[in-house]
Amino acid sequence: MANSQPRGAKVGIVANPAAGRDIRRLVAQASVFPIAEKRNMMTRAFSALGMTGVDEVMLMPDGSGLNDRIRHALKLPLPEGQVWPKVTFIDFEPEDSPADTLRAVRFMVEQGVGAIMVLGGDGTNRLVARVAGDVPLLSLSTGTNNVFPAVREATIAGLAAGLVATGRVDLKEACYRNKALRLVVNGAVSDLALVDLCISDELFVGSKALWRAEGLDQLFVSFAEADAIGLSSIAGLIRPVSRRAPFGLKLDLCPPARAANVVAAPIAPGIIVEVGIEAVSALSTGDSVPLRLRRGVVALDGEREVEFAPADQVMVRLAEDGPLSIDIERTMTLAAQHGLFVRETHALRGVGARTA
Amino acid sequence: MQLSKADLLRAYRMMKTIREFEERLHVEFATGEIPGFVHLYAGEEASATGFCMHLDGRDKIASTHRGHGHSIAKGCDVDAMMAEIYGKKAGLCGGKGGSMHIADLDKGMLGANGIVGGGPPLICGAGLAAKVLKTGGVAIAFVGDGGFNQGTTAESLNLASVWRLPCLFVVENNGYAEATSSKYSVSCDDFTDRAAAYSMPGIAVDGHDFFAVYEAAGEAIKRARSGGGPSLIEVKLNRYYGHFEGDAQTYRGVDEVKNIRATKDCLMLFRKRVEGAKLVDAAELNKIDADVLAQIENAVKKAKAAPKPTAADLMTDVYVSY
Ligand SMILES: Cc1ncc(C[n+]2csc(CCOP(=O)(O)OP(=O)(O)O)c2C)c(N)n1
Ligand SMILES: [Mg+2]
Repeated sequence: MANSQPRGAKVGIVANPAAGRDIRRLVAQASVFPIAEKRNMMTRAFSALGMTGVDEVMLMPDGSGLNDRIRHALKLPLPEGQVWPKVTFIDFEPEDSPADTLRAVRFMVEQGVGAIMVLGGDGTNRLVARVAGDVPLLSLSTGTNNVFPAVREATIAGLAAGLVATGRVDLKEACYRNKALRLVVNGAVSDLALVDLCISDELFVGSKALWRAEGLDQLFVSFAEADAIGLSSIAGLIRPVSRRAPFGLKLDLCPPARAANVVAAPIAPGIIVEVGIEAVSALSTGDSVPLRLRRGVVALDGEREVEFAPADQVMVRLAEDGPLSIDIERTMTLAAQHGLFVRETHALRGVGARTA
Repeated sequence: MQLSKADLLRAYRMMKTIREFEERLHVEFATGEIPGFVHLYAGEEASATGFCMHLDGRDKIASTHRGHGHSIAKGCDVDAMMAEIYGKKAGLCGGKGGSMHIADLDKGMLGANGIVGGGPPLICGAGLAAKVLKTGGVAIAFVGDGGFNQGTTAESLNLASVWRLPCLFVVENNGYAEATSSKYSVSCDDFTDRAAAYSMPGIAVDGHDFFAVYEAAGEAIKRARSGGGPSLIEVKLNRYYGHFEGDAQTYRGVDEVKNIRATKDCLMLFRKRVEGAKLVDAAELNKIDADVLAQIENAVKKAKAAPKPTAADLMTDVYVSY
């Protein structure tokens, strides 16, 4: 590859082995994403990262067998002409819980990775975002119901992550800053959502995913796209808000029978239901809003995560300091403009794409 | 998902009864008074409870060698179970079966099972009967991670799918089959990956969290009852004791169980949640604890004092006449 760079670039990869197996397969015909395919995605990313000159890839430990498959792949002869980065398995005993992701990402950040590839859903990205600081994320969807990560080919994603991590493409030009919804419980920030934060009158976190419209009371969105799947579609189909707009939305919801406006929204794969809208208002960055309900659950990016009772003081704040994301299309376009993938040969002088 | 206070108390009592039953057997088995083998279900209570809370008289379950929890959750009489384990005539099977053969057809409990992978074919039969007779009943097989690698399980998954039977295949993945880690012995990394091969939905739930199991079970059962066909649910959980009582467990980490008990215990988590949210008073749960303790104490006392089967019982229950 043209334009050689200083060596030592590292990229972290977080692949959530649990993504893609929740209750939505039972209640909503959601897709199944086998671990064997996550392994394939990772090895395709290795090829791409190696090509851009990344020296080391750091993987989080896992108890699910994904890393065993990677170890096996590393023993096989590489396809002709490929160079994979050195693969390091971060060394700690996994608990098979979200804490593993937090711990691994903290370690990656300490080790100075130039980018983190996240293979998972909104939930996985939410965890990574909590501790990634200013390390840019390259988010690839493997779960269901995802809005934050894109469904993209891992090879291209690996190229984009590698270009940013090695500094071949300028981070400032290739990345954008996300907003985030911070959940403040009894005065302390307890968690965040990247896309939507929804309040339901259900009592229990239960099996996590939220796929019923009944009992939804309020919805906060950091952005809302009209072509999104999941809870944010309720907002996206009324008043779309882009990822980069300096505000989000707050929606007060109610049963359709009591509502002046009713929106038909795809709140889960295959589930398009009517949701009653009582009020929609803009939520500026920095705004802190209390909840209407005194008892219920908070769903972060579509997953019930926090149960609250009357004794709890719960607020939602839209923050402008969400994670940095690598824009794949922009990164690859910049790389093309700089001719990073083009090599001129004397034999073909004048025939190549670049003549300058 | 909404649960009434009565539901919460019932769930807690069920889990606590299983726990106390097993903790007591752990102590009693060491005295040498109990014949045969016992495999304890302690640690896995939220699974049996989360599923069986949704069941009624129409429904059948098939269990495993680790069957006490499923039996209690499906309503088998605790005194008669204890007597059976002690080999006494008052036992559910006349004292001739022991732990691994506890069954009560009147309660829809098709039996603990000494054959690993023995349960799934049974629930295909029960599911077919429910379908043909239009009872609205469902049939559930609880199977271990080891049992899920058996050919009988694979055949049953296929049959249940082809006939769209109202069946649930519940993999209770406790990480080991005897001393073999499931990470070594299972070709896929998640049993849910296998569901797609049999054209049925497969999901995974945290088996330490009663509420997660309860909700997933409810959806799968609702689907089966309404003609939607079978599903596969992997419940990820841990067993607190050895494979069988007496197992030295040299294959487990030093503090493995201690850590799980401290951080993931299903009863502890349940109490924390419902007490914390002020849905139930601690005093009410403490009362259940005391009741259950007395109930198990009484069951053990009665079982020890009860008479054994006699030589005349040897020739009964051998053949069934239809
Ligand atoms: C057909 C058959 N093969 C082997 C055995 C011996 N055996 C008894 S329990 C067991 C392991 C079962 O493991 P698992 O299904 O994971 O259930 P767990 O004990 O973990 O609950 C084995 C191999 C048996 N009883 N039946
Ligand atoms: Mg097992």
